[in-house]
Amino acid sequence: MAKRVELENRIIPYKMLYEAVKSTSGLIEGILPDKGIPSLRIGLKHLKSVMEEYIQKAREGLPIIGHHFSFPTEYLSCFDCVPVCIEAVSYLLAALLPHGSEKYYDLITNWGHPFHTCTSQKGTMGMTLDDLFKFDAIITPTAPCDNTYASYPFFSYHKKIPLIAPDLPFLKEEKSYHYHGEQIKLGLEALGKVINQEPDYSKLREAIELENQVTKLQLEIFELKKVKPCPVENMFNAMSAAAAIYLSGRTEKASFYNDMLEISKKRYKNKEHHAGEEKIRSIWPYMIIFFDLELGEWLDRHLGMSILFDIFNYNFAEPINTKSDLDTMLYGMARRSMEAPMVKQSAEFYYSFIDECVQLAKDYSADCFIFTSHIGCKQFGSVPQILREALRDEVGIPMLLIDVDVGDARFASEKIIRDKIKMFSQTLM
Amino acid sequence: MYKDPFLTASNSIKNHYIEDWQKDNKKIVGHYCTYIPEELLYAANLLPFRIRATGHEDTDLGDIYMVRFTCSFVRATLDMALRGFYDFLDGLFICNSCDHSRRMFELFDLKVFKREGFNKKVPRFYIAIPHIVTKEGFEWYKREIEELKEEIEKNYNNKKITDEDLLNSINIYNKNRSLLREIHKLRIQDAPKITGTEALQISMANSSVPKDIANQELERILNLLKEIEGLKTDAKRVMLVGSEVDDINFTKLIENSGANIVSDFLCFGIRNFLDDVKLEDGKNPLEMISRRHYYRISCPRMMDDHQRRLDFIKDEIKRAKIDGVILQRINNCDLAGCDNMLFSHELKDLEIPVLNIDREFFQADTTRLQTRIEAFIEMIS
Repeated sequence: MAKRVELENRIIPYKMLYEAVKSTSGLIEGILPDKGIPSLRIGLKHLKSVMEEYIQKAREGLPIIGHHFSFPTEYLSCFDCVPVCIEAVSYLLAALLPHGSEKYYDLITNWGHPFHTCTSQKGTMGMTLDDLFKFDAIITPTAPCDNTYASYPFFSYHKKIPLIAPDLPFLKEEKSYHYHGEQIKLGLEALGKVINQEPDYSKLREAIELENQVTKLQLEIFELKKVKPCPVENMFNAMSAAAAIYLSGRTEKASFYNDMLEISKKRYKNKEHHAGEEKIRSIWPYMIIFFDLELGEWLDRHLGMSILFDIFNYNFAEPINTKSDLDTMLYGMARRSMEAPMVKQSAEFYYSFIDECVQLAKDYSADCFIFTSHIGCKQFGSVPQILREALRDEVGIPMLLIDVDVGDARFASEKIIRDKIKMFSQTLM
Repeated sequence: MYKDPFLTASNSIKNHYIEDWQKDNKKIVGHYCTYIPEELLYAANLLPFRIRATGHEDTDLGDIYMVRFTCSFVRATLDMALRGFYDFLDGLFICNSCDHSRRMFELFDLKVFKREGFNKKVPRFYIAIPHIVTKEGFEWYKREIEELKEEIEKNYNNKKITDEDLLNSINIYNKNRSLLREIHKLRIQDAPKITGTEALQISMANSSVPKDIANQELERILNLLKEIEGLKTDAKRVMLVGSEVDDINFTKLIENSGANIVSDFLCFGIRNFLDDVKLEDGKNPLEMISRRHYYRISCPRMMDDHQRRLDFIKDEIKRAKIDGVILQRINNCDLAGCDNMLFSHELKDLEIPVLNIDREFFQADTTRLQTRIEAFIEMIS
């Protein structure tokens, strides 16, 4: 028993997160009416069951593998392990608990970590500094930003956790996909050596096939968002971001998107909007505010503002060919990694990001853009004004720029953010 | 030394050496980072100019296009470019050194080179550098440099860059680094012959003039320094580590607080001249250039190379008899900030006095900085 507890205690913050998911899910089931915010209800239900399973695996002593969100979780399916996404832990805690990860941001900041780095990493760094996480190894591509190259060495140099870093080159070209595919393979092999396992590529193949199916569902939902009113509620964006990581490579993920697709189709047929009336259609080309999970629902209900999608919900990769040899699959995996949200935009010049935003604005009849300029994301620091000019000149719509830390309310609070959006929306009406 | 004609080239962006170069109708190309292989550019008869913002305290125009969370150094260079300070450039070489400077590729394209009244066509080049030091990474970098060579040949007169051109350039650059190392030896001796501020001026001037001329000037300075007496001072011997420094007001602030910067670990400092391109019989000179640039002592952008950086600092502390280390970062520089965080703990564990400060590129908040630096120097005493 003591041994089981010790093993389980290697992932204390993950357990905290599980408890937060469980109680939020319980509250929703008990309080919300049957049809209220289905994405939240369905998403949390699946998160709970998957997390439960991973905690059980931790109890059994499987290795705990930390990974960056841009190293897709399903790539770890080739190992018997407990995958923990470094960034997702910080931000899901921030989303579900009041002042969720702030204590851990402060711990690592007090230790000397610069205040201007990304809170998505700071949270888990603080937890690891406090020995709440005991990772057996960590894997991260060298992407998408300075924070990754800068922050991850803390794990290896200070906490002595083996760090594996498959290189992800700048510029999406054929040679880049081959190089990164090879890097993924070398990375998985190196990780296998650390945890004494051989990568099981047939399990990986299965997980990728599931992800291929999920992409089809995601694209159908994405297509439905073109209609007015948008048949998908704002909360879907947050839950979809969580599902992308926590349910990755699993049947629960397909189930989540399948259910959401059915609900959205029904709304589409009935020309129904989740919260009554859609007045403003907004696109958030970057992130939503993670510490304010309720913001999406508030926008739906109080301003009639749809968030058509954020950065985690408009980047879709081509299906990966799993029917051929391993190298072909790795090539496809490299392409998928390089099309992942944020990596896609960081691994190339930003001309195509601007062009894509302009096209999305047209295709989805957007009334405005809201750009959350996150303190950690220096790689996007020179994009907003260029994007604003392009939207104004080519589509004739405005863009609101908000300086935030998407994981820390102390930088710009819920009230400040909501006030800004409210004032902005008044200029649109 | 401050008023030496060569050193004064560091006080401004343009200088008379550049003007002489242009009179012969030769091209000048700008870059931000020491990972750009200058030897290759010089072999193509281009004058590589390391972009600086020395003395510029305004970022108003730069702020329009870069949010306030970005580096004030890069913003200041953009500001200068938008005001025409860099109109003399005939080419721009960018690499993914950091998230701030790599986006200059797009901003120079969209806003600097397309601004009203600017009609020159300025070719831009981009090199993707791996973020780890591995043999696969080296192969990638080597290919990038080979492609870059072809691009340069295409863009500048279709003239082939021969092995002989490369070897000549390598020899000039190796000599340049060797002279800087000789000067550095005089800086770290018990009675230093130059201050940290003068060393920075030499380094900046060196990055702004043709290397064959720089070599003559460095030889002259070296001979001059050999003749003079070293500084007999009680100033504490400090090492300066971290973000880019190209403003002597900052080094003066430290040296006026009772310290002498006898060594550093900066990209406008010794990191740039520690090692040479090794020439081996039968080896392709371009590959040897790539090898030197990829494997040399890294900057924090290389995420798996912190230990080598730490080892170097520890060795230099012994070699230069350092009393204390000043770690500094320009605000929003995540790379130097996080590397400094690790250094600060590692050096403290070795009982080496450490001061870890943040600053803006331009001189702001100087009283706070000076108080902290003075307190640190006093603490060492």
